Amino acid sequence: MPGRIEIERISYRYPGETRFVLKDISLKLEPGRVVCLVGPSGCGKTTLLNIVANLLAPECGNVRFHDGSGEGRRIGYIFQFDALLPWRNVHGNIRLGLEIAGRKPDDTFDEKVITYLKSFNLDETILHQYPSQLSGGMRQRVAIIQSLMYQPNVLLLDEPFAALDFYTKLTLEREFWNLIKTENKAALLVTHDIDEAIAIGDRVLVMEANPGAIIADYEIRFDGGVGRDPAEVRGLPDFAHYFDQIWKTMGLRRNDRVLKDAVLA
Amino acid sequence: MPCWLRRTIGFTLYLAPLAVLLTAWQLATQGAPERQFIFSSPLQVGQTFYDLLLSGELLRHSAVTSFETFVGFVIGTSTGAVIGLSLWYYPSAARIARPYVVAIGAVPVFALAPVIIVWFGIGVFSKVMMAALSTVVVAVVQAYEGTMSVEKRFLRLMDVMGASRAQTFRKVIVPSALVWVVNSMKLNIGLALLGAFIGEFISAERGLGYLIVRASGLFDMATVFSAIIMLTVIALVLTRGVEWLERRVLGWRNNNGAG
Repeated sequence: MPGRIEIERISYRYPGETRFVLKDISLKLEPGRVVCLVGPSGCGKTTLLNIVANLLAPECGNVRFHDGSGEGRRIGYIFQFDALLPWRNVHGNIRLGLEIAGRKPDDTFDEKVITYLKSFNLDETILHQYPSQLSGGMRQRVAIIQSLMYQPNVLLLDEPFAALDFYTKLTLEREFWNLIKTENKAALLVTHDIDEAIAIGDRVLVMEANPGAIIADYEIRFDGGVGRDPAEVRGLPDFAHYFDQIWKTMGLRRNDRVLKDAVLA
Repeated sequence: MPCWLRRTIGFTLYLAPLAVLLTAWQLATQGAPERQFIFSSPLQVGQTFYDLLLSGELLRHSAVTSFETFVGFVIGTSTGAVIGLSLWYYPSAARIARPYVVAIGAVPVFALAPVIIVWFGIGVFSKVMMAALSTVVVAVVQAYEGTMSVEKRFLRLMDVMGASRAQTFRKVIVPSALVWVVNSMKLNIGLALLGAFIGEFISAERGLGYLIVRASGLFDMATVFSAIIMLTVIALVLTRGVEWLERRVLGWRNNNGAG
């Protein structure tokens, strides 16, 4: 299927270390679907994103991009704290990916930017503002638009909503969910927040640490399908059920480890 | 309290230390010719400053020193900034250059002045070189520090977008390091003025340094102070120039955050 990304048996160790940070990680990302990774700190979630983004080379395994366009790997990476360049205005930041690709904005560029701004409830006037003049939520929205203008085959998101207030986070989750479905992009989202993972994930993968590995895979389905509202699903009985399952998986693993450590000690 | 009254009080407090100093100086030298001979007095300095200004002598010497300072400042700061920024581009060159930069930075410019004058003569050019030499090391160090202080998330973004090293340099390293380059300019105004002044002090036929040496030889303290006032004026004008440049180049920093 075009736009599919396969992560095959990835293992990774930091240079000079004997311990694996990631061991034998395999997963598939498909267009229009959000895969969420949850797990304790240090389980290698961000390391996995960096490998998919080609910022780190895995010790073994590989990442395959099945892109119909033949243009190869194009990654949109959204960080917890946006990386908008403070000396460029919003328009300059959104244009950055295109400039780096050595392309000039065509006639449709500005139209597309305005369409994205509207879908994220942003006003056109912010195009001439600098990042320091925007709120955290607005900056994060601009960072997502910047990535989308780059026409990525996958969006990687590293706790993108963690630094936002609750209301902004819910709004942005809804906008993000709609965008992934309408733009038909594959997305891999890392979060500490189980609530968030269930609310916007089509799949939630639970990881454990030492070494980082996927220990559970939950397919998330709510009544209402693609039209779901990440804010509203939080009140559904199924939501509590998923939460309970994931919480237990993480908790049991943690208890097992504590017990094992206690026995070994 | 009304706004105008608060502003007036603020302005008065601002000027108070200067007024106290000048009054004490005038009172201490009033009616004592031998003290006036050694220390001069604010009224004498004012009168001499006015006379020198009218005769054009002060402006002639000030123009020479300003020219030497400005040209030396531009040459030294721009050369240093280009070298400092380029060192990011060539990390192995940076490793080799580091001890040399430290060594050159440790040499007092005053010690180099005789060498510069022997090489370049006693004309304006040697003073320009002195000013340039006084500023170049600070500019190199600040620009290089600026390139090394770029936030990692910006570099990560460029990596993710597949930017080349040249693109990262042009779009992230240089704009980010400009804050440091402008800061080096602020430091370098004083250093350039000092370099030009030392050159004039050691050997010159014109300039404020020359005027001060000549006047102090004649115990003409009023002229010495008049020249010092002009040096301060030159420094203030150049500082305002750099502040103007800062607003133009780093205007994005003046925007307030929205929260």
